[in-house]
Amino acid sequence: MSARLLRYVDWVLLGTTLALMTFGGLMIYSATQSTGDPLGFVKVRVLHALIGLALLVVAAAVDYQAIGRAWRPVLGGAMFLLVVVMLVGITTMGSQRWIPLGPLGGFQPSELAKLALIIALARNLDAHPDLESWRAVIPVLLIAAVPVGLIVEQPDLGTAMVLVAITATMLFAAGAPRRIMLALGGATLAGVPVLWQMLHEYQRRRLIVFIDPGLDPQGAGYALIQSKIAMGSGQLFGKGLLHGTQNLLNFIPEQHTDFIFTVVGEELGFLGAMIVLALFAIWLWRGMTIAYLAKDRLGMVMAVGIVSMIAFHVVVNIGMTVGLMPITGIPLPFISHGGSALVVMLMATGVLLGIGMRRKKILF
Amino acid sequence: MDFQAPRQRLFALSLIIAITTGILLGRLWQIQVLQGSAYLRQSEENRIRDYVLIAPRGIVYDRKGRPLVTNRPSFTVAILPLELRKPAEVMATLAPMLGMTTGEIRARIESGRARLFEPVRVKRDVGTRVVAMIEENRMDLPGVIILAEPVRHYLHGKMTAHVMGYIGEIDEDELKARKSERYKLGDLIGKSGVERKYEAALRGTDGRLRMEVDALGRPLRVMGRVAAVSGRSIVLSLDLDVQRAAFEALQGSGLPSGAVVAMDPRNGELLAMVSTPSFDPNLFATGISPKAWEGLVRHPLRPLLNRAAGTAFEPGSVFKLVTATAALERGIVTRHSTFHAPGYFRLGRWVFHDLKAWGTVNFITGIANSINVVFYTLGHRLGGESLALYAKMLGLGEVTNIDLTAEVSGTIPSPSTKMQLVGEPWYPGDSVNMSIGQGAVTATPLQVARMVSVIANRGTLYQPRVLLMMRDRDGTARRTGPVLQGRVTLKASTFDVLHEGMQAAVLRGSGRAAAINGVAIAGKTGSAENPRGKPHAWFAGFAPARAPTVVVVAFVEHGFRGGIASAPIARKVFLAALRETPDRRAGPHQIAQRTPHVIAEPRQ
Repeated sequence: MSARLLRYVDWVLLGTTLALMTFGGLMIYSATQSTGDPLGFVKVRVLHALIGLALLVVAAAVDYQAIGRAWRPVLGGAMFLLVVVMLVGITTMGSQRWIPLGPLGGFQPSELAKLALIIALARNLDAHPDLESWRAVIPVLLIAAVPVGLIVEQPDLGTAMVLVAITATMLFAAGAPRRIMLALGGATLAGVPVLWQMLHEYQRRRLIVFIDPGLDPQGAGYALIQSKIAMGSGQLFGKGLLHGTQNLLNFIPEQHTDFIFTVVGEELGFLGAMIVLALFAIWLWRGMTIAYLAKDRLGMVMAVGIVSMIAFHVVVNIGMTVGLMPITGIPLPFISHGGSALVVMLMATGVLLGIGMRRKKILF
Repeated sequence: MDFQAPRQRLFALSLIIAITTGILLGRLWQIQVLQGSAYLRQSEENRIRDYVLIAPRGIVYDRKGRPLVTNRPSFTVAILPLELRKPAEVMATLAPMLGMTTGEIRARIESGRARLFEPVRVKRDVGTRVVAMIEENRMDLPGVIILAEPVRHYLHGKMTAHVMGYIGEIDEDELKARKSERYKLGDLIGKSGVERKYEAALRGTDGRLRMEVDALGRPLRVMGRVAAVSGRSIVLSLDLDVQRAAFEALQGSGLPSGAVVAMDPRNGELLAMVSTPSFDPNLFATGISPKAWEGLVRHPLRPLLNRAAGTAFEPGSVFKLVTATAALERGIVTRHSTFHAPGYFRLGRWVFHDLKAWGTVNFITGIANSINVVFYTLGHRLGGESLALYAKMLGLGEVTNIDLTAEVSGTIPSPSTKMQLVGEPWYPGDSVNMSIGQGAVTATPLQVARMVSVIANRGTLYQPRVLLMMRDRDGTARRTGPVLQGRVTLKASTFDVLHEGMQAAVLRGSGRAAAINGVAIAGKTGSAENPRGKPHAWFAGFAPARAPTVVVVAFVEHGFRGGIASAPIARKVFLAALRETPDRRAGPHQIAQRTPHVIAEPRQ
């Protein structure tokens, strides 16, 4: 790697990523105390982080142009794994998402699909700079439709939503005209009733109780109510690290994965939650800066895709813990326990760093 | 050519991210800072459970310090309504374990809905096997908890049932009446007898146990404890030995219903009070089952009724003591008066019968053999007003105010009241009938005991009592003194004649079956005719005759002859009461240090 590349490494972005990841390890320790083996969870976490960091370095080192050119095997590989998971995967909560991987836990191809789609979309949007006509837009939409379709089939509504959001954001950044964006938005809204029919019963319940958690306080509304209680009871300064009662007494389901932010809110209070939110804000600001300073259209669109992925995760996940969003299985990037998500997020960060490292020369 | 990023679009995206982040931050501020304390309270309610620690009720002792009722540990199955996640499934699992129907469990839960955080007691006093079953199936029984609670244990069951009374869950009327005393739904409260009368002392102060629980409601640790304070102990004047003798003698009579009262004429302390048929108050200690309750209430002989005080009977010849007193006081008769007793008494065209023709007898023999004609003669000359006056002087016709529940006053008719009540005039024959305790006269065995006490102690009317000693809130024991209800001023000669006549009755008259060798006993029998069946059998007496320490009234419903059915019962009670030294007033502590000496029964 040349000295020039190293000179443009965005240390703030990297530092923020490491800070969030370390913080996540601490939160996982706290959230898994009641299992009796919190260190075990942290060890697995460190293993995931090391793999992820290695892939981050690789992703940064490889020229993103090369990554873009390899979009077919990347997307194809991810789609292949999605099909595999439907055939052999482990079923949790009524959907098949996991491929068992021994000591590493399970592998979730849907996480990988997010990054693969970003790469494929970036490459194809770069190849069709003129998006004024539907003829240029439709092939791009078809590329997105394949993973979205497979993931809806799992079914994993949250991840499908992430993919749709990423696609929309990248189309917008690539310059799709307003009429096409509006038409796509309208089509999505029109598709909602159809989607509703396709949902599992538990998914519908989640959405209904989001409107009124009191409808089923011991069932579907339970997590929503308890997570708000956890967040709110943290008040300004929190109950102290490792001292959250909602956390310790298992009032919150999935408190070390999807609901880990409730542990932050309960134990470290508004202050802790604000620090996490600020770290994400810094991360996203650096990401947007990289997109803005990208050397070419491919880098810009790819960076926007990665930033939108992280942003969407953060907003939906935190929004869920404070009752602003319905419950979906979307993890909090870098913090939630879960190897596939962490490794993929770190790889994406690597790609983002790589785009930044190859940015335009700044003219003084 | 240099690539130029779409500045506006990237700015728009950044703005969207900034705005949503701002919304999240605002929302965090709202629920964590603005509403934080409310959520904190909810999280505390989530994890903290307060359990009531039921205070054991005070222990009740007999006069010699022997416990009559204590408390034993038990397990209660209860439900926390708020944590009952799947009521139908939980009830279906629980019902067979408790041997109840789901309907019964549901009814219990509904009754406790008013207080969501309080456990609703579904079944008290379950066995350890049930406890083990529930613990094993804890995961399937969210909201079901086991409480360790004291249960009232009456050591002598039926024997002391009517004095002790029983407890039960507080009902809505009681709850309203006692709101200021911090009773709450599900509390046990004294319903009758000593349990009710001394509720305030016997009831303890419940404690609280504050536990931390997890999301499944499993207790993790104790956060705080306010210990329950036991109720205060009380000592009754009852003597368990006398009580037992009375109960066994009454049961041994072969007739199903009756009552015995034994009382110290020097102060009104009750040594025994028994009523048959009896009931087991332990049935009530854990909440009586509807079936058992039905059985008691529907029973034709009404076991819950205290026949010693709760209902009045025709006193029959026992009432002759009133007639004799009135006649002696009015100077109509003296010890030496003689009567011609041909076996009947003629009044106009009415004839009043006697057992047999006695020939010429003196007044002492008249009392001793309960000769009707003697008392017909006196009653006719005295008239109804005089008889009623002396009956009331001796405490009949009004409640004794004993410190127990459900006492009746009985009836003493008189010419003036008969006109008011029945609308008929008082005929001379009414006085004749009343002289031997027939007609509308009724009295409780307890009233008769008080009357005989007045005769025994020569004129002092004491309130009958069962409470001997009580501990104050600060722990000091306080002995209750005798309560003087009045003085009956009669001539000394009147008492002399009554005593002599009653002694003669036991020595050679109708009450011979009560006699004990070596002890002078005075008594009066009665066979009271009544419209419901065979005559009631009475014996009322005192001993030792010269310095009486105990009055005994034995009553057998439809026992036919007082001298045959009741006098032997009284004898056994006298024996038990006199086995102790005459001075019972020392109290349990001194009594323990004293060697009792047994009265020998010398041969003659």
